[in-house]
Amino acid sequence: MFSPVRNPPAVLRWSVVPTDSVPEAFEPVADTPSQLDRTSAPATGSVLQPMAIQALYVLSGDDAEARGWLAFLRRHGYPNLSDLVIERVYWLEGTVDTERLMPLVANPLYQTAATQSQLDAARGPILEIAYQPAVTDPETPSLLAAAHALGQTGLRFARLSKRYQFAGLDEEQARKLVARFLCNRVVERLREPGEVVSTLRPFGTPDPSTTIPLAGLSDRELILLSTARSWYAPLSQLKAIQAHELAIGRPHTDAEIEILVQSWSDHCYHTTWKRLGLLKRLSAATAKIAHPLVVSAFKDNAGGMEFYEDWVVTIKGETHNFPSSIAPFGGVATKHGGVIRDTLGFGKGAYPIGGTTVMGTAHPRLPEEQSPPGALPPQLIVSESVRATSYYCNPMGIPMMHALYRAHPGYVKCFALGHSIGLVPRKYALKDAPEAGDLALLIGGETGRDGIHGATASSTRMTGNTSAKESAAVQIGHPITERSFTTAIPVLRDANCIRAITDLGAGGISSAVGEMGAGVGAELDLDAVPLKDRSLTAWEILLSESQERMLIVVPPDKLAEAEDTLDRYEVKHRVIGRFTGRRRLEATWRGHKVVDLEMDFLWGGCPLDPISTSEPRRPLQPLRLPALRTAAEWSTAVRRVLSHYHACDQSAAGARFDTTVQGRTVVGPYGGKNHRMPTNIYVSAPLHGKSYGVVTTLALNPFYGDIDPARMGKLMMIEAITKAVVAGVDYRQMVLCDNFYTARLRPEVAWDLTRMVDTIAEFSEAMGVPFISGKDSSSGTFEAEGRAIDVPPTLAVAVLGRVPDVKKVVTKEFRRAGNKILAIGPLSGEALGGSLYADSYGQRGDRLFEPGSPEQVRQVWDALLKLHAEAGYVSGSAIAEGGILLRLFEASYGSGLGARVDLTEAAGHGPASTPDRILFGEFIGTAMVEVPAGGDVESILDGVPHRVLGEVRPDAQLSLAGHPGLIWEESTAALAEAWSRPFREVLE
Amino acid sequence: MSRAVTAILYAPGTNCHEETAAAIERAGGRSEMVVLRDLCGGRASLRRYQAAVIPGGFSYGDHLGAGRILATMLVARLRDELIAFLDSGKPLLGVCNGFQVLVEAGILPYRTPGSRSMALLENQSSHFEDRKVRLLVTDGDSLWTRGLAGQVLEMPSAHGEGRPLFYAVDGRPPPRVTFRYADAAGNPTPEYPENPNGAPGAVAGITDETGTILGLMPHPERAALPVHYSQDGIKLFRNLMAALR
Repeated sequence: MFSPVRNPPAVLRWSVVPTDSVPEAFEPVADTPSQLDRTSAPATGSVLQPMAIQALYVLSGDDAEARGWLAFLRRHGYPNLSDLVIERVYWLEGTVDTERLMPLVANPLYQTAATQSQLDAARGPILEIAYQPAVTDPETPSLLAAAHALGQTGLRFARLSKRYQFAGLDEEQARKLVARFLCNRVVERLREPGEVVSTLRPFGTPDPSTTIPLAGLSDRELILLSTARSWYAPLSQLKAIQAHELAIGRPHTDAEIEILVQSWSDHCYHTTWKRLGLLKRLSAATAKIAHPLVVSAFKDNAGGMEFYEDWVVTIKGETHNFPSSIAPFGGVATKHGGVIRDTLGFGKGAYPIGGTTVMGTAHPRLPEEQSPPGALPPQLIVSESVRATSYYCNPMGIPMMHALYRAHPGYVKCFALGHSIGLVPRKYALKDAPEAGDLALLIGGETGRDGIHGATASSTRMTGNTSAKESAAVQIGHPITERSFTTAIPVLRDANCIRAITDLGAGGISSAVGEMGAGVGAELDLDAVPLKDRSLTAWEILLSESQERMLIVVPPDKLAEAEDTLDRYEVKHRVIGRFTGRRRLEATWRGHKVVDLEMDFLWGGCPLDPISTSEPRRPLQPLRLPALRTAAEWSTAVRRVLSHYHACDQSAAGARFDTTVQGRTVVGPYGGKNHRMPTNIYVSAPLHGKSYGVVTTLALNPFYGDIDPARMGKLMMIEAITKAVVAGVDYRQMVLCDNFYTARLRPEVAWDLTRMVDTIAEFSEAMGVPFISGKDSSSGTFEAEGRAIDVPPTLAVAVLGRVPDVKKVVTKEFRRAGNKILAIGPLSGEALGGSLYADSYGQRGDRLFEPGSPEQVRQVWDALLKLHAEAGYVSGSAIAEGGILLRLFEASYGSGLGARVDLTEAAGHGPASTPDRILFGEFIGTAMVEVPAGGDVESILDGVPHRVLGEVRPDAQLSLAGHPGLIWEESTAALAEAWSRPFREVLE
Repeated sequence: MSRAVTAILYAPGTNCHEETAAAIERAGGRSEMVVLRDLCGGRASLRRYQAAVIPGGFSYGDHLGAGRILATMLVARLRDELIAFLDSGKPLLGVCNGFQVLVEAGILPYRTPGSRSMALLENQSSHFEDRKVRLLVTDGDSLWTRGLAGQVLEMPSAHGEGRPLFYAVDGRPPPRVTFRYADAAGNPTPEYPENPNGAPGAVAGITDETGTILGLMPHPERAALPVHYSQDGIKLFRNLMAALR
């Protein structure tokens, strides 16, 4: 077991020089002029003396990152790439003994460090990628801290770069590859050989702040200006700003207009939903239900539900569709970062205890050349999104609850959804209003160029050119920063240092301070904002969507305590302003007042254009599915479903996400014998040592949206709730979270949206299960070569429920041979419309399953709960995509048992009454349960539709009986092969 | 309940401190979270504690190599405290990233702070692996595994860099391997994913020569409470409490 080592190390001793100072990870970003920028006079501060710059080059004998990229790039258009080597370069500025840093940058057991490059130039072109000079490397603070600990206090700054050597490619191919996959030019650049710099420290000069008079501009000129400046504001808003200019008697500054258009963007202001009255409709339904468990609905960064023992659990779902479409790694990573901050920004700070990831793309099997121009290949989006979720969520230490990957031809602009659930003491579940004199404390990362115009760009349409033009809208995520304040925030909260807290997401500082200070007013000192990019001008500082930042409203007498706590947890912080009592948003920068807006205009001045609605025509066709006659035809049909992208084994992705961190997980996303069976449920016991449980489920079905968006909405609610009910969660002990994704607004989309919201609001009221949080994205349209590709009307419904005892939760896998398998709920009517089975033939159908009246649906839930309370069933699952078949297979696979079913009775006796309709039908609201042989359930199920489907068998076989004889029989092992391959291939 | 208090070390990026505390409490022990910055600034001291755990997470974002920055801080900035702690023979546990820290600091396998003779490399699959694993206890004489020899313990494993590489050091015995990844029959296995990272010899955990310092890639604290799918991990913490009594 002892492996040979290429370079046996000499005895390595860390050089230890005692220093009592703990170094500031960062040099204070003083107003340091550039050493390269000798022509411009420094604004303030003194010119730094140039310092020596040295470099250490590190090669790794075991480089998984290089291996991973090599395999990836060979699949993505570079089969000739024969080898890829990554040399990491540490650039060091100051007085440094590089020998002493070698043990830090390299573990000699598998890495070698040298002061010269160790690459042999003859082996292929070498390209070096470094961060932009104006940008700070995320690893710099760690490197400085460790170097100082080693006594190298003469090290003033450091940068990292990577040299990639591409064997088998020529220079031009290598450059193209780097531009496409490896170099994110928002923050990175190619470092050309022989480049000489006199300092490594971030430098750059900001543009001055200007005024932009709109007076006298025609409508056309306004639109042109709006596009040129990437405001993407509708004309009505531009005219409102133009009129405001006359009213205040001065032109607006660039910062003011930027703030107004992004605050009024669909992303921030939900303009579309407000125009249609939809936000009011949903929150009115919730208000009408007046559910006793609802603590906070639709008014905070997340919704809150009463848990047990004076705790509140929270939920929020957030989409990040636009950035994830153009830069999936950064987009998806920051999707998670953002929705986690919504939890941290709930009340006075909730602690995140679970998360989800949902990725809807075009089908990953779509050949790369068939992607519309300007759209990334879907397989790339999926594999990059998996990498990003792993990159972000694992370091955050938040367990993955559900990971769903879905495909629909309309998801060219992809659907990137993530949820976060949290836990907060009841007494900290509601924010206090900031008071005049309170301080605005910015914590976390520094402010950079990343994410500028994210709010407006994501609210507009996406075209083939968008990815080139708006790539600056994509943020870069650094989970270590967010992890640190995730630990610190509950400490601050419990010490009463937080009056209110919110995250910095879309719209950045201006949005966070503007919203928090809406009632009282705030003034900002933009020079106090710590910058990672020295060239940011005032409006960019205000709008930057740099990740991993939060804003805390701190009472002045608590500031010192708050700062001390943040120091202990190594969270950077800076007071950037205070709340005033003047009801204005004000900001100064470099001695000038650059923003002075009335809060009333900022939050009340946005005109809402009327929208007309018109019923869309859907080209729906009745299903024409072939009759299944032979066992071979049945076998093929079964495989069509099990290997469908939505039904197949997605654990190849899921196993890259931590599901058990925090020690709260009771039932994770995968379970059963070999931990690969999807459970469709997540159960957490959030209070260590207690049995109380939080339960989440998720429902999403883009195919249903193609047929009947309104009914799809209702079915998603029923599906998500039934998944939880069959596990034993009372529907009166749960709340819902909605996430809509629809095409860019036009009358037909407005019609669908209105009908969807009306339907779910009505159903929510009828069932008494309230929505408490939600988010809408109304920009799901991709344009390429004059063709618009719309996303299907999409609604994801998440359940957040509670149970008094997690040990009573029932899961899916079969328990015992000989037990009866029952369907509880209707198995009648058409249930193949929108099904996976129909999709496998390229068909949708013309109608969706009719789940019955609210009373009928509730009757099934009540029966399930009664049966559950009497331990009447030992396993169970809700029927959803893939129908009864998928449940039978998964319950068998997860247990090592099998099932023998007979569907002829259920199918009835008419000419169209065939078992495939039952086996593949998606009877939403119906559950499949396993009842002990001899157990009497009839008395409880009296009057409730139910039917015996068959029984659990001891061998791992699935069989379908008919009259006479056997229709089809197969081993679950053979089926598992078909089930587990498709997704694995996507990631390979 | 023992009066001894176990320190749970917290550094930026640590994320398994809470459940580690919960596991120690369930085993009948007491623990306190000790913030690295407080140790460096003299506001806290390891001398107050009878045992210590370096829990899992991504300390300092895994920058420069998993565990390396925190290891540097321990060895360089807290050298005296660390040596005193080690010399006193107090029990020390590193789980997952904590194991990586112990290895990068040279504390495992040979108690040579600042001198490494082992590495934990990236998983063979080259990505993070979240798995439920079985661990065969192959050394029942350490403080942590007393009475567990031959048992197969089930617990979660979740890491991206856990494949051990050892460097033979003259005059030193091979490291004491306490845990090996096992298959369903309980035998050490090279097979993925039962052996989630491709560990040679299926090595999942080792101790120092005295058996008081344990480094373990899988997470015993996540299999320690009645609500967990397995409670095998609590056995390690019970052994710790027995030793502290």
